Amino acid sequence: MTSLVHGAKRLVGRGGSPVGERLTALETAAATARGRLDDDVVDRAENVVRRGAGRLALSGDHTVVALAGATGSGKSSTFNALSGVPIAAVSVRRPTTSATTGVAWGEDDAAEVLDWLGVQRRHQVPPSPEAADLDGLVLLDLPDHDSTEVAHHLEVDRLVQLVDMLVWVLDPQKYADAALHQRYLRPLASHKDVMIVVLNHIDEVAPADRGPMVKDLEKLLADDGLAGVPVLATSAKHGDGIAELRALVTRRVREKKAVAARLAADVTSVAQELQRENGTVDPGQVQRADKAELVDAFADAAGVPTVTRAVQRSVARRGSQHTGWLVTSWLTKLKPDPLRRLHLDMGEEGKQLTGLGRASVPEPTRVQRARVDGAVRSVAGGIGSQLTPPWADAVRRASVSRLDDLNDALDRAVVGTDLGVSRTPLWWRIAKLLQVLFALCLLGGLLWLAALAVLGYLQMPTPDAPEEYGLPLPTLLLLLGLVGGLALAFIGRFVNGLVAKSRARSADRRLRAAISGVTDELVLAPIDAELSAYAEVRRALAAALR
Amino acid sequence: MNAQALITALEELRVALASVELPLVVPGSEEQRGARHEVLGQLDDYVLPRLRQIEAPLLAVVGGSTGAGKSTLVNSVIGQKVTQPGVLRPTTRSPVLAFNPADADWFTDARILPDLARTSAASSDPRSLQLVPVDSVPAGLAILDAPDIDSVEVRNRTLAAQLLAAADLWLFVTSAARYADQVPWDFLRAAAERSAAVAIVLDRIPPGAEDEVATHLQEMLQQRGLERSPLFAVTEGPVDDAGLLPAVAVERIRTWLEGLAADANARAAVVRQTLDGAIRSVARRSEEVATAHAGQVEMTQRLEVDVTRAYAEARRDVAEASADGSLLRGEVLARWQEFVGTGELLRSLETRVGWVRDRVGGWFKGKPQQAERVTVAVESGLESLLIEHAEAAAERAWRSWSSVEAGKRLLETGDRDLGRASRDFRREAERTVRDWQQGVLEMVRTEGADKRTTARFLAFGVNGLSVALMVVVFAHTAGVTGAEAGIAGGSAVLGQKLLEAVFGDQAVRRLAEHAREDLEQRVEALYATESARYLAVLDGLRLDPAGTESLRFAVQRVAALSTTEGTAR
Repeated sequence: MTSLVHGAKRLVGRGGSPVGERLTALETAAATARGRLDDDVVDRAENVVRRGAGRLALSGDHTVVALAGATGSGKSSTFNALSGVPIAAVSVRRPTTSATTGVAWGEDDAAEVLDWLGVQRRHQVPPSPEAADLDGLVLLDLPDHDSTEVAHHLEVDRLVQLVDMLVWVLDPQKYADAALHQRYLRPLASHKDVMIVVLNHIDEVAPADRGPMVKDLEKLLADDGLAGVPVLATSAKHGDGIAELRALVTRRVREKKAVAARLAADVTSVAQELQRENGTVDPGQVQRADKAELVDAFADAAGVPTVTRAVQRSVARRGSQHTGWLVTSWLTKLKPDPLRRLHLDMGEEGKQLTGLGRASVPEPTRVQRARVDGAVRSVAGGIGSQLTPPWADAVRRASVSRLDDLNDALDRAVVGTDLGVSRTPLWWRIAKLLQVLFALCLLGGLLWLAALAVLGYLQMPTPDAPEEYGLPLPTLLLLLGLVGGLALAFIGRFVNGLVAKSRARSADRRLRAAISGVTDELVLAPIDAELSAYAEVRRALAAALR
Repeated sequence: MNAQALITALEELRVALASVELPLVVPGSEEQRGARHEVLGQLDDYVLPRLRQIEAPLLAVVGGSTGAGKSTLVNSVIGQKVTQPGVLRPTTRSPVLAFNPADADWFTDARILPDLARTSAASSDPRSLQLVPVDSVPAGLAILDAPDIDSVEVRNRTLAAQLLAAADLWLFVTSAARYADQVPWDFLRAAAERSAAVAIVLDRIPPGAEDEVATHLQEMLQQRGLERSPLFAVTEGPVDDAGLLPAVAVERIRTWLEGLAADANARAAVVRQTLDGAIRSVARRSEEVATAHAGQVEMTQRLEVDVTRAYAEARRDVAEASADGSLLRGEVLARWQEFVGTGELLRSLETRVGWVRDRVGGWFKGKPQQAERVTVAVESGLESLLIEHAEAAAERAWRSWSSVEAGKRLLETGDRDLGRASRDFRREAERTVRDWQQGVLEMVRTEGADKRTTARFLAFGVNGLSVALMVVVFAHTAGVTGAEAGIAGGSAVLGQKLLEAVFGDQAVRRLAEHAREDLEQRVEALYATESARYLAVLDGLRLDPAGTESLRFAVQRVAALSTTEGTAR
């Protein structure tokens, strides 16, 4: 990667296009898309990145130009005519050239570049006045692409990917061959800036036919998506058109833009392909209704209704222990606390033990689980319907990736939630105090009356009980204790009902908040991760296509 | 001796071949479909017409690469301009058939190449055949100038392949610049494989290079088993005003062709060689098509199994979840407990307290309404089970189809919604559940027809008892699944007691069994319509498993007859 950036800087520093940055963006896109989009396309993108990084790390002063074409179209003669040195073998036997030959001009040794290209047969032409215009050119003579020798096709396929510029040498017999147009020219439609087409052996065509033939070739090229590519009619044998070709090639070599242009075309082509797979739409948000249904389904699976019912009953039970009539309220202690049955009665201290304890809220049943799965599916489906199929699939996979932890996470959420049961309101204490007082009144009145009755029974003088409001005090105490206690118990029972309901509601709220956290963690976060990966690929591709 | 039998066998083979289509996309299916099409074409264009009229003139098809000089060569051999050469590639024009006027009858009707329209003028329509009667073509021989085999023009390539397949004799034209090209050699290899009669013309040799190039080509021919084919070398030279090569350049070809036309035996030998080879090739390639067809049938069966398995799993899941008591928790349990009320109910059943109390209790507690609430809870629980498992099954089927190329293609061309449950599935599931509940109600009503007056029946009513029956059904296996047993089992026991008190335990067991079977049947029917969406895609392919056998049988007959025919001659 450092070499890539370094190479890019060298290019940028020379005023070239920021192709290095685009390559980096493509690399990011490919890395993020790996495992999510089609492997073949990602592979191609990574190959482009690797090739680009390799090429940028090498000399930017050399421009590699390859002569490619069918067997017998005169690549080698053109090579010799162009270079002015008879290096490539020319023959009537087909196919002639079987290994790539490379010739480099100029002082700079092109060995590094040729090594990278894997070209063994090479010549370095030292600088000379008559070849000054060729300085920096590395010219390759490729084997044919259409003969019976399969090894030749493979060599051509390999080098076509690597060179900076391509000169296709065609001839009047073969310029319309399917082997050329379908295998090479159409797939390279995005590379027309780094391509020249030469119609060789033009001397074999009657002068009157030459113009229409070039026109016809241009039409075929336009059909391939290569409109505007320079087409030159040459005759390597007689030297016609070779000077123009040489001028065209040397101009590109002088400009030194071919390296960047070639890589840019590679990046554009593969990034567009990735973008087609990736899509460019905005994925949008999880629908509110979907999210609500998700929380509902999770809450149902966590047994929230069971827990809130238990909270209500537990609060009512504790309330009646405080406000109940002392004579009977001890009986409620015999009934078990419904929360304790669920192991959820730990209150404040329990919170510190969170993670250790496990509630015995029943595990989700298949029905509840089905509801959870359905809700998760509709969340993922809602998001995925906006995206291209590979991403929709990735979102769907992500949405269920963590559902194995469902039971555990729900249990932790329920145990870790403060249900607000342990709080004892002041009026409960006051009511309790009053109940004690009423009970004391009742007891006092009773004892007093009992004492009076015993004295009366024993025919002993009974002191007159003091009177208040026209009633004897012990009787008053008895009645006060009885009526007060019962009335308080009755009112307390009513109010406690309301309190229990409101506590249950607040417990429900808290539980749902905690469970909403679980849905975030188990479902929405993985989906968000996919969506941000998608956004990342989208952004990187936009940068790569800039 | 038995030419007629062979013709019949080949006609049967043609019918069998036409009836097996290869609609699936599997590795190599493109080639297999192409092979089937080519074999059909070869039967129509060549094998059948040639067998029917073995004495028809010899058809020499001139084929080769674009720019190799086919047209100029044909004109020069005939000695007259019958076809228009061009410098622009590819030359698009209809093929030209030149023959002696005496042979006209053989070619004007649709005996060979029935799908090409006959014309007398040059045109650029590749689906027509230009007929040119020329005196200089010897009688008993016809020369057809075919389009190129390797240009970017697809129609030229397919037509050339079709015409070459219809030839008694190939006159294969290549040039000094092209003789090592791959495409022509692919054709020559195919010709060698079916031992068609081939003559090769090496055209446009640069003067002076004749020996070297011709020797090299001869070596290549030898390596590829074509050394017995005559090789004619034609030097590149100036054409005269009429666009013809000097007579001396094509003299050898001309003499050879004329010799062939004059010698009936030699001609018959060429025809027999090509025809036997063609029949052998037809049989061999038909066998390949049969194998491909068998493979496709196997693939559709696999895809079908995928779907069936996915939905069977859904059915099993629903059956399990609806029997192990999981439906009896949460909402249903709460409603059920409300319905049965406190322990008093149980006590009343055990102690058989009189009907008055039951009745009064029922009146005050408003049981029918509560029974309704249990029904609704059951409905929504069952529904979400059905929906979720339908979704999951659709997804499973989609996944397993996507994992093979053929399935993937079917999904791409078919309905995009196959991966989800169908649109109105929710409604269908609702209906299924409600129908089932209705069925349970009916069952209870029928069973209780003679018990209408008993106290308990009246107390709980048909609704209440059918709810109890559902509860018993849902807790079918609850006894064995540990954790569930406590709650669900308890509820079920309650329901069971209730029902037994009314109907007796024999009847309850029978009723529960019936209700359970009814539910399973309904779920099966519901999922069957879901899986039918997938199966319809497969049915749409119209792959007949019997096609393989009938094709193989036809191939064997042809093979057997052609061997005896060959030895007889």
